[in-house]
Amino acid sequence: MLLADFGTSYCKLLDTETDRAPEVIATRDLEVGFMADLATGHNAARRSKQSINELTALARGGEKIIGGKDFVLLDCGSRDIKFVRYAEGRVVDMGWNAECGASMGFTIELLAKYYDLDYGEIAVPDTGFSITCGVLGMSNIFDAVISGLSETEAVAKFVRGIARNAYRFAGSPERLYLSGGLCDNPLFVGSFPCNVISLGRFVLLAGLQASR
Amino acid sequence: MTERVGIVGIPPRSVITDLHRRRVLIFDLDEPQVRASLDLTASHLPRVYCAVLRTVVLNAMHLHLDCIYIDVGPGKCDCALHVSTILKNMLDIPIHCTRNQDMEGAGIPLCRTRMPLLAKMTGITAGVLEPEPEKGPAACRPTAGFWGVPPRDFSLLTLFPDTTHVYGWTRCMENKTPADLELESYVNPNVPTVFFAQSFCAKTALAKFLADQHPQGLYLDCDVTAGSSARAKIEAFFELSHSLFSEK
Ligand code: SF4
Repeated sequence: MLLADFGTSYCKLLDTETDRAPEVIATRDLEVGFMADLATGHNAARRSKQSINELTALARGGEKIIGGKDFVLLDCGSRDIKFVRYAEGRVVDMGWNAECGASMGFTIELLAKYYDLDYGEIAVPDTGFSITCGVLGMSNIFDAVISGLSETEAVAKFVRGIARNAYRFAGSPERLYLSGGLCDNPLFVGSFPCNVISLGRFVLLAGLQASR
Repeated sequence: MTERVGIVGIPPRSVITDLHRRRVLIFDLDEPQVRASLDLTASHLPRVYCAVLRTVVLNAMHLHLDCIYIDVGPGKCDCALHVSTILKNMLDIPIHCTRNQDMEGAGIPLCRTRMPLLAKMTGITAGVLEPEPEKGPAACRPTAGFWGVPPRDFSLLTLFPDTTHVYGWTRCMENKTPADLELESYVNPNVPTVFFAQSFCAKTALAKFLADQHPQGLYLDCDVTAGSSARAKIEAFFELSHSLFSEK
């Protein structure tokens, strides 16, 4: 069975009939006629025989991977952020923000390419920008650079601000399980003011596996 | 010629009875009645304002009414009170402000029956135009709850199961007691419930509060239309809460 998590920038694919690890490919490189058996994400209904919505996939993936009865799981994608909160084994809160979380992951990746930065080598700053969205936050960077901050420092404050915003969106938990490509970004992960457990970018695929 | 009267909110039963006696044509201005862009109201109301009341102003601009009854008391909201000032300034017709404090319950059969939620909501809002309640259908066992006001975008109601019970101000509407805060605050803790409010409405505070108290409540606010993330939240909420409920 071919499972797919169609992201805005990257697609995660898993063929359950082979032992191969999940594959990540850029969305723009996906074949035009590509069809999955079961999928979630962007245009999943059009590109698969059966689809489930992303919050459901995230929650089921969290149940499968985390296993506990109380947890908050936040997924930071290219275009949006979403979370589920479980208490005593029940989903008690969830959120999906495609507006104020807009283009967060996408902007963070774009900035690294534009300024040629390695997020693994940037320390978490003591303060960050107060921002709610990637697009609007860009102007903070330009203002800060004009007023004398280095590009690296300005971007670090931006990333910290984005992480803090995502943290508040998820309800400011003491422990946060993180899903999505940003798990690989040490500056982003280190900017959360709580204990973060990174689950990587295949949580939604795990949710699809659990939904089969 | 038949008199054309607009109503906003739920004017007192005595007013509705009188309108029926006068055989006027009643328009519920809270609901979309004309095909025109809400942006046309921008010269009268801020764009960041309750979409239901922006709809009221849009309707009032187009419907050639003879007069309007607008409820502005505890059965509606301060936003409506301020819209009444705008309507008075905008239109050359009588704008009658009412403060509905009716407390005699008319019953809530539609809120508790088995029926697509969209049809249920349409029946409840249509009932506002009638002075006397109809004898309603039988109650069903609830598996889900919708708490709140009738949304500006009824399409989100299609995501609920037919066995959804209706709570909040919509229940007060059917009961013809719009100022009954106790009834408005009543919820059933045993069914997963979506606590809905229009964005920029004071009821968002009560919706959020009740959702936080509820063992399985989801807070949701929407403006003019329910976007894909709002729809996905409702879908996932019911999918996940039902499977968990049945396991318990
Ligand atoms: S939704 Fe809220 S603000 Fe809008 S008319 Fe109703 S009570 Fe007033």
